[in-house]
Amino acid sequence: MFTLIKREIEDHVAFFLGAAIATAILIVLLVSAVLNYDPPPDIPVYAVGLLIPVIVVVVIGLPAMGVSQMYTDRNRRISAFLSGLPVTRSQILVARIVTGVLAILIVLAPLTITGTVLRDLLLPPIPIYPGLIADMSVTAFLIAFACYCLGLLTGWTSSRITPTLGALVLTCILIPLILVKGFGLHIKVILILFIIASLVRTWQKFKSTAL
Amino acid sequence: MDENVIEVENLVKYFDGRCVLDGINLKVPRGCIYGLLGRNAAGKTTMIRILFGLEPSTRGWAFLLGTESSRLSAKVKGRIGYVAEGHNLIQNYKVGRLVKLCRDLSLQWNSEFFAHLIEMFHLPMDRRISQLSIGMRAQLNLSLALAIDPELLILDDPTLGMDTVARRQFLELAIDLIQQQDRTILFSSHILSDVERVADRIGILAGGKLVVDCALEELKNRIKKFRLIFPESAPEDLHLTEIINQQIQGREMVITVANWNQQKQAMLDTFKPSNSTEMPMSLEDIFIECTKPTTVTTAPQ
Repeated sequence: MFTLIKREIEDHVAFFLGAAIATAILIVLLVSAVLNYDPPPDIPVYAVGLLIPVIVVVVIGLPAMGVSQMYTDRNRRISAFLSGLPVTRSQILVARIVTGVLAILIVLAPLTITGTVLRDLLLPPIPIYPGLIADMSVTAFLIAFACYCLGLLTGWTSSRITPTLGALVLTCILIPLILVKGFGLHIKVILILFIIASLVRTWQKFKSTAL
Repeated sequence: MDENVIEVENLVKYFDGRCVLDGINLKVPRGCIYGLLGRNAAGKTTMIRILFGLEPSTRGWAFLLGTESSRLSAKVKGRIGYVAEGHNLIQNYKVGRLVKLCRDLSLQWNSEFFAHLIEMFHLPMDRRISQLSIGMRAQLNLSLALAIDPELLILDDPTLGMDTVARRQFLELAIDLIQQQDRTILFSSHILSDVERVADRIGILAGGKLVVDCALEELKNRIKKFRLIFPESAPEDLHLTEIINQQIQGREMVITVANWNQQKQAMLDTFKPSNSTEMPMSLEDIFIECTKPTTVTTAPQ
């Protein structure tokens, strides 16, 4: 399994580098803005401000990664080759999903840590909801993962237009859900159901198609 | 130990409403080199792909090493070497990277044997797969399949694109491999002389059916071709069953019959041919006779 994950990372290293660079830029911007601001900023406003560029990265980058993994696999017949080795299709797909999760964590983990540190340093004297950053991070992770799953789902095709447009359209439908439902339990349940449905359909397509 | 390494039961496959495999039954015993023959689009590759779980069947069952093909575990696959038609290798990888990937994923890896193969085939480790010739890709694919010391080797037209020397090396490798205990090989090829040289059992696919499935020697004994000269014009019907091919030209008749036996010989003798000569048949001749439609033609003298 480790070999398969390593292969996926090496083959899609551009996405990992892009994610790392985008995260670094966001952290630098956030920290410099917070430290140069006088009086101390309103943390929730900053958090929401940070979320917008993160969502942009998530909307474009993660579905693109999922699409790229599945589309290049299908068209270069990578799984057909790997299936000739002691590897099952389920292992190939699980390795792919783990790679996607790692890419998401590269973006979200440093941002969450930075947000937490800044909150502790600059906590205003007024009481705020203590689980704010955790809630936002979990929801952001779920939406990022849902977008990635959309990429996986739409990428398993030989057509070039379907995966690109399909993933973008579905992502654009998914993202406004946050604006409507916020970061609470409802959106989490909806996203989890969406992720499960996408993964089951992807798994079913990937398992049953001729390689 | 399983007696039959490969088992196929009533296998049916349709592509877009077209029947490619029509109720195939096949058993390949352990230690056998099985040559699967057929014309283009006869279903050889489809059958091999179903066997290896790459293609779902419409109906029927296929088993490899006692496991149903669509449920082959990594452990079972680790005992099987597979060379796909067209040599599906990851084109943008360098040879060295691909070899490392295969080595890391394999359950066992015979480094010494693999190094020997790489040296024998003069394969460059630093070149991209896409820059290799078709023959070199075939050699690399074969080397990767052999390096895992497979219990069962499935080769789908493995010598396609190889030059004469490389083909000969491959055949010798196959013979070496089979001499090791309990090794089994299933391979399809268009080069019948290769199949004739190494296979000890033959299957011929035609019209979606496995029309021949027997030992090579038995096949040669079962199918006979005669040139008959009759005192007067040749009779149009010899009342023989299982005529594969029959051509009449005046007093001369050339006839190919399956499952030749004493009853058929006796029936033929009743027509009192003035001359009867058995024509020797190579595997290629048998293959051509078996795969072309049954014909009875009469030409003017």
